[in-house]
Amino acid sequence: MSAETASPTRTVRPEEPGKARATIGAIVLVLLVVGGGWLSNADWGKLPDIFTEGWRYFYLMLKGLVQNPFSEPYSEYWSAALGGMLESISMAWIGTMIGAALSIPMGFLAARNVSHPVVVQVTRVILNAIRTLPELVFAIILLLPIFGFGANAGALALGIGAVGTLGKLTAEALEGIDPGPVEAARASGAPGSAILRWTYWTQVLPEVLAFWLYRFEINIRASAILGIIGAGGIGSVLSQAFRYREWDFIGILLFVIIVVTVLVDTVSGAVRHRIISGTGTSDAKVEQDAATL
Amino acid sequence: MTATSAGAPAPSRPRKPPVSRPLVAGLLITAAITVWAAWEIDFTLRPLFTDFANGWVVVEQFLHPNWAYLGRSWNAWVETISIALVASFFGILVGLLLAYMASKVTNRSNALYRATKWFLAVLRSLPDVAYVLIFVALVGVGSLAGILALFIFNIGIAAKLTAETIDAVEPGPLEAADASGAGTFSRARWAVQPQILPNFLSYALYIFELNIRSSVVIGYAGGGGIGQLIQVQFARFNYENVSAIVISMFVVVLIIDQVSQYLRRRLV
Repeated sequence: MSAETASPTRTVRPEEPGKARATIGAIVLVLLVVGGGWLSNADWGKLPDIFTEGWRYFYLMLKGLVQNPFSEPYSEYWSAALGGMLESISMAWIGTMIGAALSIPMGFLAARNVSHPVVVQVTRVILNAIRTLPELVFAIILLLPIFGFGANAGALALGIGAVGTLGKLTAEALEGIDPGPVEAARASGAPGSAILRWTYWTQVLPEVLAFWLYRFEINIRASAILGIIGAGGIGSVLSQAFRYREWDFIGILLFVIIVVTVLVDTVSGAVRHRIISGTGTSDAKVEQDAATL
Repeated sequence: MTATSAGAPAPSRPRKPPVSRPLVAGLLITAAITVWAAWEIDFTLRPLFTDFANGWVVVEQFLHPNWAYLGRSWNAWVETISIALVASFFGILVGLLLAYMASKVTNRSNALYRATKWFLAVLRSLPDVAYVLIFVALVGVGSLAGILALFIFNIGIAAKLTAETIDAVEPGPLEAADASGAGTFSRARWAVQPQILPNFLSYALYIFELNIRSSVVIGYAGGGGIGQLIQVQFARFNYENVSAIVISMFVVVLIIDQVSQYLRRRLV
């Protein structure tokens, strides 16, 4: 027996699976990218400028950063940067609040286990439409003609933009709840409003709060974007500085943006982890849900 | 049995738990921040009622899009999609490399791991528009600035998402690779990459989508493509043309969204 199993020649190595599909895919992708490089009308000849000019500007930015912050004109630069950042954070906060407040009813209306199927479909279409368009478009179309330029219009645009994602996430969270408490409340004769408040809402609250905080982090970056069309905040200050090529000022502004954003992300991330840690939902899941919208 | 339980006095209702102090404190702090932030940006809804008529003139123009203009926006659309394609391709490639360096699973050097994490946090903290402004200053207005800005921006997102996926891979293949004496590179290539590939490809599609969506911002800041067209038309008060472009954008994003969702569902 043992001689028999040992004696046969080694089994033939299985053939490698075909690579044709992967190869064709790679070739198509490379062709697309090369075509894209051609069709984008990019002036590739200017690419070396990044290295020649880049170092010079980087040096100028660093130079602005290491100057005595209490001497002229650097004290003005620093106060303008911090003031702009504060305005951006305020915009982001108010935008998040507006979005959160509006997303609660929208979320309930878009949840299949709460609302009528027709209502769900209509609400989902609205939420998807909002998610499709960037905040900048809302600011341009709806808000600037009525609210004029400024942080107020920016905050409203961020709020509208936030409803799309927050409403969708709230609806998905509501659909994932444990039906037990709902049945218990219904069996004890609770009115509809009490069922929504005490069985649906309490179950999703931690997750929804985490999404709100996540949206606040996103809104801080988005508020800088709105600044370039004159919606206030650090974005407006930044595009002004670029217009006049004040590299020392730009260095200070970028530094403030980086430090404050990392700081807010860290604090908000810690709070999010704390909120989520008590529930069954895993932290990574919430993160992935929110990130890949 | 039933008689006794029915006859016993109904248990007194349990007392309501006291209001939790941290909760009250948290709510008060939130309210205070909100009031202060609203004051900081002079928040008001009044123009909605007082100045609505002024705005309505513009809104009315938006409601009558100039469809004829769409034909002339064709070139800008090709430009936008090309920018997104090139920037996502290279951004994702570099992002993958950095993702391997930003996970303890694949990076054996603690110092390098920390440095990469730090670098990525800084990279992600700047919004895309800041990168556009920087590259416009370096290489001038045009789509090259847009490509470079999105390239840098994509590295940050791709690396973060992929690194999180690498952190969560099955340890089995890793142990097998270690047992057979695999080096850092072949360990990453043969034990980790096959596991993360579906998620990675889905992130790639997501990033491409994101790049199309941010094309308005990119163009507005001088990075070429459809956004530049919107900016020019907006500055000339041609709201009918802007409206047509925005609607075409809506359609394009929706199509790409659907296609990529379909592909992503097949991948993961």
